[in-house]
Amino acid sequence: MIIRRYGVAILLAFMILFLLSAFLLLSFREGAFDSAIMLSGTVFAAFVLVQYNVLAAVFRHLDRFVLLITDFLQIFSIIMLYRLDPATGQKQFIWILVGTVLMVIALVVIRRAGNFGRWNTLFMVLAVGMLGITLVLAQRTHGARNWLTIGPFTFQPSEFAKILFLIVTAYYLSTRQRKRDLWPYFLFTILCVLLLVAARDLGAALLFAGTFLIVFYVGTGSLWITLGAIGAFAGGAVASYYIFGHVRTRVQVWQDPWANYNDSGYQIVQGLLAIASGGLLGTGLGNGMPQSIPVAESDYMFAALCEEFGIIVGVAVIGFYLLFIVRGVLIAMDARTKFSKLLVFGATCLLALQSFIIIGGVIKLIPLTGITMPFVSYGGSSMLSSMMVLGIIEGVAVKNGEYDEAEITEMGGELQ
Amino acid sequence: MNTKSPNRPMKGMLVIFSALFVLLASYLFYSTVTYGEEWFSSPYNPRISAARKVADAGSIYDRNGIPLAWSVGSERRYAENPEMRRAVCHVVGDVYGKSMGAEAFYARYLYGYDQGLIDRFVTAFEGDEKGGDVYLTIDARLCEYIYERMEYNGAVVLMNYETGEVLALVSNPTFDPEAIPDENEEGGSQYLNRATQGRYPPGSTMKIATAACAIQNGLTNAVYNCPGEIVIAGQRITCPRDGGHGEEDLTGAFEDSCNVYFAQLAVALGADRMKQTADAFQFNHEWHFADFAMLESSYSPGNNDGDLAWSGIGQYKDLITPTHDMLIAAAVARQGIMPEPQTLLDVRYGGRSAYTYTPQTVATVTDPVTAASLQTMMRATVVEGTATSADIGAAAVSGKTGTAEYTDNGEIRNHSWFVGFSQDAGHPLAIGVILEGAGFGSRYATPLAASVLDHAIELGY
Repeated sequence: MIIRRYGVAILLAFMILFLLSAFLLLSFREGAFDSAIMLSGTVFAAFVLVQYNVLAAVFRHLDRFVLLITDFLQIFSIIMLYRLDPATGQKQFIWILVGTVLMVIALVVIRRAGNFGRWNTLFMVLAVGMLGITLVLAQRTHGARNWLTIGPFTFQPSEFAKILFLIVTAYYLSTRQRKRDLWPYFLFTILCVLLLVAARDLGAALLFAGTFLIVFYVGTGSLWITLGAIGAFAGGAVASYYIFGHVRTRVQVWQDPWANYNDSGYQIVQGLLAIASGGLLGTGLGNGMPQSIPVAESDYMFAALCEEFGIIVGVAVIGFYLLFIVRGVLIAMDARTKFSKLLVFGATCLLALQSFIIIGGVIKLIPLTGITMPFVSYGGSSMLSSMMVLGIIEGVAVKNGEYDEAEITEMGGELQ
Repeated sequence: MNTKSPNRPMKGMLVIFSALFVLLASYLFYSTVTYGEEWFSSPYNPRISAARKVADAGSIYDRNGIPLAWSVGSERRYAENPEMRRAVCHVVGDVYGKSMGAEAFYARYLYGYDQGLIDRFVTAFEGDEKGGDVYLTIDARLCEYIYERMEYNGAVVLMNYETGEVLALVSNPTFDPEAIPDENEEGGSQYLNRATQGRYPPGSTMKIATAACAIQNGLTNAVYNCPGEIVIAGQRITCPRDGGHGEEDLTGAFEDSCNVYFAQLAVALGADRMKQTADAFQFNHEWHFADFAMLESSYSPGNNDGDLAWSGIGQYKDLITPTHDMLIAAAVARQGIMPEPQTLLDVRYGGRSAYTYTPQTVATVTDPVTAASLQTMMRATVVEGTATSADIGAAAVSGKTGTAEYTDNGEIRNHSWFVGFSQDAGHPLAIGVILEGAGFGSRYATPLAASVLDHAIELGY
């Protein structure tokens, strides 16, 4: 235990050193020393230290890996955003603060609550309602109709519907023995996906459908039905290719973004140019031109990171996500109830798919669908929902630890 | 409650997730290693034009070591002699992303990005990030000589047809890379490299391909009468000579550049055969040269005999870049093999050469027998046909003139063309000249080509 804490201290010290030296570089970018930027960096460093230590002290069974990885990703996010535009960085800082509060709330709720029982019906209505209202009211941005404006805030309801979807999924798949009793859940899933497709939010639709398929397979163990469902979704995807012009455009652009450089291929090409210009070690913070990539601060953060920190750090970030996923699945396997297992597994699955889809899209491995990079992209809704997903995972981790402790105490032992 | 534990499928999914993320990382690594250099040096990359990096960039020299571009601190300087600076501006390019020259195409060398990953790792640690020096195949003084003699807008391109080295390439109007930005001047068209990016109707120079088609298809003995004009499918085609050329055979019609003869010849050959030959001569072909960017030329036989007739004499929808037209002459000189034009001679890092010039070919565009016949006809054109002003003493020049009609604000005007080569093992030179709106090919482009060839041979090329 002591050795592990020692390791955590080294890791934290390294992260803080990285953060502070990056902000020192950023403060000197305009020639003269900009104390406001250095102050922001220092405050964020202090926040990371306090957040980690307080959480680890209050929740003794917290999974430290997952929290540290999140902190690391958020440090990259803050550095890159302050580098692109300090005002955006500042806003992201606030979203991280609010997100941490929501994470703690989610953690406490999941730790205390059961499977939410009848509340799930309300959750389903709420989720479908949010997606439906968005479709009706939302303005179009970047080809998708997925933003709602309320007063001074714009938010993306699909991000919050995700959380409800995870809970409903875990509830139905853990409480219904017979598959025919799952029909309300099937209906709910199909409705969500259709609403997202209608809103042209293809990334989110893919995320919901993918999470459903994987968790359904894991929860029921029935490979054949899962394969059938994959077939149905694949059929839907092929049909949407023929029905929707924008889906066809995306596939064509993926095949040859250079041929469509002047319009739809511009963003992908600029992203690839940025990654190629960074090379193995990157240009160094502040030396590249990530501002030439459209929406570098949200969907294209990965390209911006690769340009200035090199593909070495790009590969490291992919590794961080994988480590996060491994820990998530381990927590799921360790969970005592099937509801908790499926909830954590679903949450992990969501983050896995989301990071794979956006990174794969940016590096042109798969067609690009505009979704955010968890914990890294700028955006309030995305940060808050990712932090709630983290809260769900940590909630179950804490619960697991408490069970372990109870069992050991029962046997007369003591958990350090 | 479902009693089956989901742990087993979860483990399975974890394996799949791990595989996906390993794939992600591998693909990122693979694509950067494989395409990184090509992507980086793409003319679309705004980083190349970022002046900040200029301090680390290498210099550009002509084949004789005359400095054409170099960096002083964060400033990019270009050839000291202002006339030479303008003469080579399209080949050298600029760092503002206005034109597509060596500054953009060879950025990977100039900024040291052609080094392998390991080398870059080493240089990053050594802190020596100066790029390589680029040596071009062009002779800057020869370019200046040409530029001083160009009285019209247009392009001149001169190449060694055995090696493919481009010895001179001048496009007029020019710009001064030291005085950028001056966008409004000439409406920006001064940045266009007319030799590679300008698409013009080939006019009578197209008759090389039409004649090749006739020879390949055994139509060498066709004799047509030229009364000065002919109407084919309602379209009137004329010859500029009063009263026409009279009875003409293939060689005579080629020497005299008889439109009436070649219009009928094209119709006799038919759309399919004409299209086939044009395609073999690399019309409708996207060029993919490693170090050279060129627009596609186009040929279409049209839908009726009138269009077909016009297409056979280089009008209708025929469009060609001056460099491609020069390559056709080069292919004739080389027994039907079209060489690849190249402008990169050498790259040196701290004096150490890191590039080996290798001659390349595009394709075999016609057979040696046809090429030999074309050589004879093109030589005769210079000796006793429309291109007599190209008959210089220094070498046996062969060629074809062209006068390509185009409409400028409703007024019909003529581009003046000459493409040809010197049939001389010591001086394997191919040339293409176009002067926009100048008039007859024989009167404007041909004398310029003659003086350029004469001067190049004097210089030992």
